[in-house]
Formats: sequence, C-alpha cells, structure tokens
Amino acid sequence: MSWLVWRQYRTSTAITGVLIGLFAVLLVITGLRMASQFHATFGACLAAHNCRFPADDAGLVSGWLGAVVEFSLAVPAILGMFLGAPAVAREAETGTAHFAWTQAVTRRHWLTVKTGWLLLAALAWGGAAGALVTWWSGPRNAIALSQFNPGTFDIEGIMPAAYSVFAMALGIAAGTLIRRVLPALGVTLGVFFAVRLVIMGWVRQHYMTPVTAIYNITMGNIPLPKGAAWVLGQGFRGPNGPLAVPGGSQVPMVADGFPAADIPAACRAYFTQGPGQDPLLPCLSSHGYAQYITYQPAARYWPFQFIEAGIFVALAAVLIAVAFAVINRRDA
Amino acid sequence: MSAAVKPLPFGPMATEAMAIETSGLTKRYRRGAALSDCTVTVPEGRISALVGPNGAGKSTLLRLLTGLARPTAGSARVLGGVPRQDPAFLADIGYLAQDVPLFRRLSADDHIGAGAHLNKRWDGASARARLRELNVPLDRAVGTLSGGQRAQVGLALALAKRPRLLLLDEPVAALDPLARRHFLATLTSALAEAEGRLTIVLSSHLIADLERICDHLILLAESRVQLCGDIDDLLAGHTVLVGPRKDTAALERDHTLVHATRTARQATLVLRLSGPVIDPAYQASDISLEDLVLAYMGAAAPAAYADLSAASTISTVGEQQ
Repeated sequence: MSWLVWRQYRTSTAITGVLIGLFAVLLVITGLRMASQFHATFGACLAAHNCRFPADDAGLVSGWLGAVVEFSLAVPAILGMFLGAPAVAREAETGTAHFAWTQAVTRRHWLTVKTGWLLLAALAWGGAAGALVTWWSGPRNAIALSQFNPGTFDIEGIMPAAYSVFAMALGIAAGTLIRRVLPALGVTLGVFFAVRLVIMGWVRQHYMTPVTAIYNITMGNIPLPKGAAWVLGQGFRGPNGPLAVPGGSQVPMVADGFPAADIPAACRAYFTQGPGQDPLLPCLSSHGYAQYITYQPAARYWPFQFIEAGIFVALAAVLIAVAFAVINRRDA
Repeated sequence: MSAAVKPLPFGPMATEAMAIETSGLTKRYRRGAALSDCTVTVPEGRISALVGPNGAGKSTLLRLLTGLARPTAGSARVLGGVPRQDPAFLADIGYLAQDVPLFRRLSADDHIGAGAHLNKRWDGASARARLRELNVPLDRAVGTLSGGQRAQVGLALALAKRPRLLLLDEPVAALDPLARRHFLATLTSALAEAEGRLTIVLSSHLIADLERICDHLILLAESRVQLCGDIDDLLAGHTVLVGPRKDTAALERDHTLVHATRTARQATLVLRLSGPVIDPAYQASDISLEDLVLAYMGAAAPAAYADLSAASTISTVGEQQ
C-alpha cells in the first residue's frame, strides 16, 4: 500500500520539494544578508546591552521579500488543497477507487496508509516552512518584537506544521465526503481560511486571561510591556470601565488623547484648552480615571503556540475520524 | 424444431456449489430503484452473461456482489459469504469496473507492482507474460494506451489475483471487433486454466460475443430479473411460433406468451413452454439467444418503446419468475 502511495505521489512530492527548496534558497540568501546587516547596525549596542527595541528596522526587509515570506501563510492551504483534497476524491471521481478497493486490502487499511503518509508529509513540509521562516525572522523579531502579533505568529514556530496537518486532514475529509476534486478543493480552501480567521481574530486572545496594566494619566505615552508582547488594546478607563474614544480630529482631547467630553464635573474646573493642565490630571486620577494597556506577555509566546497547535491537531483528528466513518459507510 | 421440447429446469441441482446466490437483492437511490428484488444464482465454474438495456441495474448488481455497494434490502452470498470489507473475501474477487478505471499516469508495470503490494496471492509474472504476448507496452502510462490495450491491462490485473469469481462490467463495450476477440480469447483461456475453480459474470450488450463464450444468462430489465439460468436450458424452454394472426388465449392457457409481433396476417410469438405445443396452425422453430433476449427486453420495455419495433405489438410478461 505504501508502495502505491509513493508511486502515486512521487511527482507531487518532487514538485513540493522543489518549491520548498527554492523558498529555502531565497530565505537563506536574504536571511544571511539580513543577519550581517543586523549585526552591523546593532552590534555595538548589543555588545553594550543598551539597544532600545522595538526600533526602526532600518530597511532590513524589502517590501517584496516581506510579501514572499508572508505568503508562507498559504503553504498549509496549498498542501491541503493539492495533496489532501484529491487523495480520496480523485480516486472516486476517476473510478480508480474501484480498482484499489477490490484488491485484498480493506478500505480502512487503504485510508490509514494514505492518510498516514500525507499527514507526515504535511508535518514535514509545514515544519520545514516554519523552521525556515523562524530562522529568517530572527533579526527582524529582535528589532520589531512583533513575533507574537497576528500574521507573524502564524508563520513562525510550530504553527505552520500544525496548520498544515489540519489543512491536510481537512482536504482528505472534504474529498471523502464530496468525492469530487474541484468542489473538495474549494471547500478545503474556504473552510481552512474561515477557521484560521476565526481562531486568529476572536479565539486566540482568550487562551489565557490577558494582563492589564494601569497607569495614571500623564502627558506622555505609557510604557509598553517588556519584550515581544501581544498588545490587545489600550486606552482610558473610568470608574465604569473603558471609555469609548470618539473618532475624528475635531474632538477636544486632553493629555494623550483623553476625550474632553468624559471629564467628570468635579474636574471640569481645571479643564482649560492648551497646556498647563497639571491640576486636571491628578483630579482625573483621584476620580478613578486611568490609562490602561491590555496584553499577552512575551513569555506566553510558546504556551500560545502549543495551545493553538493543540487545537488544530485536535480538529485534524476529528476530520480524519469523519473520513474513516464515511469511507466504509458510503457506497463506492 | 419439433413441438416436443424439454421442460424448463426447476433450478440448479442441489449438489452444485453456488458462486453467487442472491435473494430479493434491492438497491434504491434517491432517484429510484436501480435493482429490485433480484434473486439469481450462478453455479461455480460457469461463465454467465449479464445482459439488459442501459440502466437495467447490471452495474449495480456487480457492485453489490463485490461489496463496493451495500444493498438496501435483500441479501447476497458470494463464494459462500456475504460481500464485505475483508481481505480474505476481497482476495477471491476479481472486478473490472466499467470503462476500465486505471491510474492514467502509471504504467501497466506499475499497476502489476501495486497489485503485488495489495494482494497476498498475486501472479504478476503471468500478467506480464499475457500482456507481452498481446504486445501491450508495459512501461507506458496506461492513459496513453488504446482502449483495447487498457481493457487487456484491466483484465490481466483482475486475473493476476487468481480470483475465484471474476466480475466484468462491460469490458468490451469500447473495443473494436479484433480487440474484442482478443479480450474474449484471454478470458476463455483463463477459464480453461482455472479448471472449474473460476466463475465469471460478464455484462455486455454484444449478444453474439456472449453467445460464443457464455453458458449461463442473467437478463435484467427495468431493474428486475427477467431470466436467469443455463443458456441451453433457457433456449430449450422457449420457442418461436410463426402462424396466422388469431386469438392466442388457448396457447396462453398452457404456456406463457413472452412477446408477440403481429403484422396484418401473420403473428410471431415467443413462448415460454410448459410442455409441447400442439397446434398445427403454427410452425415452431428454435429460438436464438439474441431473439430470446430481445423478446424479454421488448416485453419489459415501456409500451411506447416496444411499439417502435413492430406495427402492432402486445406485451405480456407473466409473473413466471
């Protein structure tokens, strides 16, 4: 069975290998250049331990290169669409399932071997893409401290491998259910990005209760959390919770953007347009107004990677279970 | 042929082992029944012709026998067991699906190699030898082969399993006459080699081909079994009467009128006999397999369809089954 899988997939394996290889060459060449540029620019302050990050990335990454690297977001979807979705669907569509499923192996055995190899391939290719991007991003992460932010988090560490396993399982399950290559491919693409988007946009921030730091209202910026933290939100809050900051430039503001309309009556006397609002800010503080910043600390980067990888691997397991349940129950 | 004929057989001998026995086998899809209440038997060692119009349920029956599809109702016993997902059962079944689906980009050699990995019992050497004999290139992608060559590859693969039951779904439909002849020759030589251990069910529209190699017939029409039995017995049990156009009530009292074609003066009747016909007005003659099949297919067809074949046709198909 493995022999047949290899024989069927060796062309796609070669194509995927060449693409990942080209990607690797591009990243290694530009990554080495980036690293030397990084040391040239920041070597001195790094040695003296007085670098101030996040700093301007000093033209470290050209726009098109950043786009190419960001494109690695699509690697899992591509694996799921072009290797996963046809796994069962193409065989059902062309009728070769009738050949395979009337040899002396059960459909379950057939699916086990096929699924096993494909998931392994997803893990390998996704892992390779993730490892390359993680290495390449080293200097950029050091400067911009952005690796925890959505969009960057998703292409580094173990996420590409986990997403690839999920996308592959999704493709196999969609193909088993739909049994036609093109619709299965479309469903794989749509569901993959929908699930990713929902988890990235609405679920990920709740893996652990975010930390909220509160500061007295001052004229300056509040200090950012240490390291590559993921800032979820910041602003002002009053005794009744966060204040909605009205948009538009005509809205009167005090300090670093505190909406003038929210100044309590007791402090209104101190409110004057322009500088010299010293009595106003202590008054706001004493009435329960403050500045806050909500974030996930940098130390939670790896816990978050493992939690999210766990979610996607669990989803993959459910999808594979569905494929197994369906393949025996449905007629061929 | 004289009016005296053998009576219809009352079913297979009790001592004969059955390769296929189905009972009330039914497969319904959302769009309707593909096979209804199908009860057939095929004794071991036969080569059975599965015939019927398009959509009669031939492919459905074959897929139910392989276990690729599961029946809505009824049951099937194939080689003594229920068709199932079990390596031991699957090892005994050789199946060639309609249009010979193979991996287009893989060569015949690759397929034979795959078979060796997918089957414990596998005779790749004789499959290669057979294809070489027929000048089928072993190293070219099967997608580039001719229809006849592809069918030969499919048959070689099915035979390489050394199956006890070979189910072939219209394997010769797309072949030219010469390729068809080669295909059928391969089949008969395989049957001879197997020395009675192999049973074959072959569906086709080409009755002349089937007549040459088959000794058993299953006729499906309108998703139902119309006829099932040894071809010799079926031919002996039917007759064609040609005579004046007159009331057939007397005839129908003793026999079953399968199909009648009437012109202004003359009637041609296909009868299923239950004894000798004693009516000097008619001239009896042997029925050919093709006429027998057409009579039952015409009888089962919707009236409008049957009318196309004759100026005036009455159809009576009894519940003789």
